[in-house]
Amino acid sequence: MSNKLEINTVTVVGANGVMGRNIAAIFASFGNAKVYLVSRSMEKSIEAIEKAYLSVRAESIRNKMIPSDYEHLCECVGKSDLIFEACAEDWNVKEEIHTRIANAAKADGNGKIFCSGTSGLSITGLARLYPLQCRSRFMGMHFFNPPYQMTLCEMTPTKYMDDDKFYFNFMKTYAEKVLYRTVVETADVPAFMGNRIGFQFINESLQMADAYRDNGGIDYIDAVVGPFTGRSMPPLVTADFVGLDVHKAIVENLYENTDDYAHSSFQLPGFTQRLVRDGKTGRKVGAGLYKTVVHDSGRKIYQVYDIAHGFYRERMKYTFPFSEEMVRFLRIGDYEAAFHTLVTNQSQEAKLCCELLLKYIIYSLNAATLLKCGMDAADDVMAAGFHWCPPLALLEAFALAADFEKLCEEHLEPKIVGVINQRKLLDGVKKSRYDYRKFLLAKK
Amino acid sequence: MGKVYVLGGAQTDFERNWTKEGKNVIALLKEVMTDAFNQVGIGFSDIEELNKENRTACFVGNFIAEEYIHQGHLGALLTEVSPSFYGVPSARYEAACASGSAALDAAITKVKAGEYDLAVAVCWELMKTVDSKTCGDILGRAAYYESEGKDISFPFPRLFGRLADETISKYGLDEKRYLDALARISNLNYGNAKRNPLAQTRKWFMNYEQASRRGTDTNALIGGRLAVSDCSQVTDGAAVVVLASEHMVKELGRKAEDMPYVKGYGHRTAPMLFDKKLWEQPKSRYLLPWTRQAVLDAYRRSGLTVDDIDVFETHDCFTSSEYAALSAFGICEPGGELKTVEEGMIEFEGKKPINPGGGLIGCGHPVGATGCRMFLDLYKQVSGKAFGYQVVRNGMRPENGMMLNIGGTATTNYVFIVGR
Repeated sequence: MSNKLEINTVTVVGANGVMGRNIAAIFASFGNAKVYLVSRSMEKSIEAIEKAYLSVRAESIRNKMIPSDYEHLCECVGKSDLIFEACAEDWNVKEEIHTRIANAAKADGNGKIFCSGTSGLSITGLARLYPLQCRSRFMGMHFFNPPYQMTLCEMTPTKYMDDDKFYFNFMKTYAEKVLYRTVVETADVPAFMGNRIGFQFINESLQMADAYRDNGGIDYIDAVVGPFTGRSMPPLVTADFVGLDVHKAIVENLYENTDDYAHSSFQLPGFTQRLVRDGKTGRKVGAGLYKTVVHDSGRKIYQVYDIAHGFYRERMKYTFPFSEEMVRFLRIGDYEAAFHTLVTNQSQEAKLCCELLLKYIIYSLNAATLLKCGMDAADDVMAAGFHWCPPLALLEAFALAADFEKLCEEHLEPKIVGVINQRKLLDGVKKSRYDYRKFLLAKK
Repeated sequence: MGKVYVLGGAQTDFERNWTKEGKNVIALLKEVMTDAFNQVGIGFSDIEELNKENRTACFVGNFIAEEYIHQGHLGALLTEVSPSFYGVPSARYEAACASGSAALDAAITKVKAGEYDLAVAVCWELMKTVDSKTCGDILGRAAYYESEGKDISFPFPRLFGRLADETISKYGLDEKRYLDALARISNLNYGNAKRNPLAQTRKWFMNYEQASRRGTDTNALIGGRLAVSDCSQVTDGAAVVVLASEHMVKELGRKAEDMPYVKGYGHRTAPMLFDKKLWEQPKSRYLLPWTRQAVLDAYRRSGLTVDDIDVFETHDCFTSSEYAALSAFGICEPGGELKTVEEGMIEFEGKKPINPGGGLIGCGHPVGATGCRMFLDLYKQVSGKAFGYQVVRNGMRPENGMMLNIGGTATTNYVFIVGR
């Protein structure tokens, strides 16, 4: 360890998980740091290294990553400038780990910096596990999956830094300039900012799927807000990809611990509860909202959970005139015509699509206001953490075809229109730093 | 003959994969032309007005859309971008990876001759429509396909691998030291791309060590001594440059005094076959004498020397071609390239920065667009509009920039100098 503040050596604890190992690779590659990977066993850490270097496509960092285990935690911490925890999202697990890390570091922490990659637990709560004099050096550093492709890094300070933000600011600059992250500073609130906006949209889509179960439900809603609305993956495919158990944990945390105008949209629909209870948690177990069955002939059959009947059926190929037309216009780069179609088409699906997208924009602007992050930050989290068309950019696309404020009045319930007016959400809207054109895909 | 001024232009984000976005060439062209006109401060309606008196034309640069997207007749295709192009003269120019320069050459010539007052070079390539092996085969048509391309996988990496071999033997270089210099060139271009918000590799990881580790899982050898890190990218993209006569500049109410203009050019064609390039060349200290000649022609036409050039754009389709360009530019004597690279002369902060925006390795290489992208970057540098990758020396932006754009194995050689 050097005397000057530099990140030359890092310990990643919980390094055998997907996030842990891929974050280790970020420190070893862009950060050019020596990284100790600590997990339950040496074998697991060795395995993790073999996968980690491939995640950044660089053999050259292989030797910069050193496998270790909990027995050697103390030693690793002692040699490190930065200790990053990436363990399971469970308070008890994290409590134990951070207590051990705090003990391993000397009482004064010896100038070390401590980070947690938690996506939902309280950073202030975790900071309390450290001796007082170390607390200004403990912070949240939330990466998104997969970190090489998703550059977002949400950084969370605590009240213990009120007098001394030196280490926090140092880490923000380090993440931005050295690790090439899109850094957003967020308050210590449940799920921070990216997941709050992203999972609000996904859960509302789940609720919509439930409400429109007789129109097809899950695949119906995914067809309504498909890639042509500014995402490479439809929202419910995303939920399946993330895992319904993870989704459940995030929205329950938000439902219990936040109280904004969209509070009820964080309620997990009953059918999703049941799927999780039955172990159908998504792609990682082969079944969730969607399921892929391989026929004896080798043919793959793509199925979806039919909410109305409680079984899996073949996915339907929906043909909505509004989305067909939008895709046709997007294919030739006519964004104005595409959005004109969206806002003027009177079909149920076009209206639903419009409603969901407008709600997404308004919820993002509201979250940015509530969390005092600035509207740019809402754009950053959605573009760099989800690869979704960010809210300000999407607003610009709508504005090509219609007056945005009027659209909201026409499509949204009075309660939300009231929030827009009361909080003057649209007054602070500025030009997005992102280009909507690259996010709006000419694909169903 | 009048001066030819550079009003500005635009390039697309080279990170984008238009096939994955589901978008076609019309979307690509609509976007880049709209952005270019907005940057320049003109509208599609201005094109219509100028065209009433036959004062404007479009010059399309593209290598091989017939193979990548089954589309030919690319000059006429602009009429699908906007009805404003109905009746506007437009045609396609092709010289493999120097197609962009060929289009610019025609555009510059017409303005210089007083035929048109406003010329729009529209250069593009969509390459991500096919897999990488097919892409390599298609690019083989930039060589003499029957003898250098057909049935050979990745013919161009091989040919530029041979250029590396020839460089080592001609100058009696230590192989390791030479390959390390190539790794530095690769790392330099990737590093510069990090400053460029439109570069394809801006989020990728690369360092000197990784570029040196050739022949590994993540950096496989692909052509002789060259590995993946020595190669430019397969890229979708377009670039537009808008040129104007002095008359037009005044009409637009702009000041000509500080506006970048074309100071000189060079254009030489070497034998098509790589073997003939080597064995049938005049006795020369330069490995690529025709490339050197094109540079000399540009210096002569502009009345400038290498000392007057503050920034360079070179055709780093492979690290071995950037290496060979150093002496061709006159930055060093033939054989002095090693030292030039090792001493950091061509780095972003160096005395003669090359490819400040990342070049073909870092920014990307949509083959038909590349010459135009280089030219646009020279314009940005000399007019102080390169933002994150703006070269500044002693508080001043560059006065003159030079570019080298090659087609094939340095078969077509195009050089331009843009200055103010």
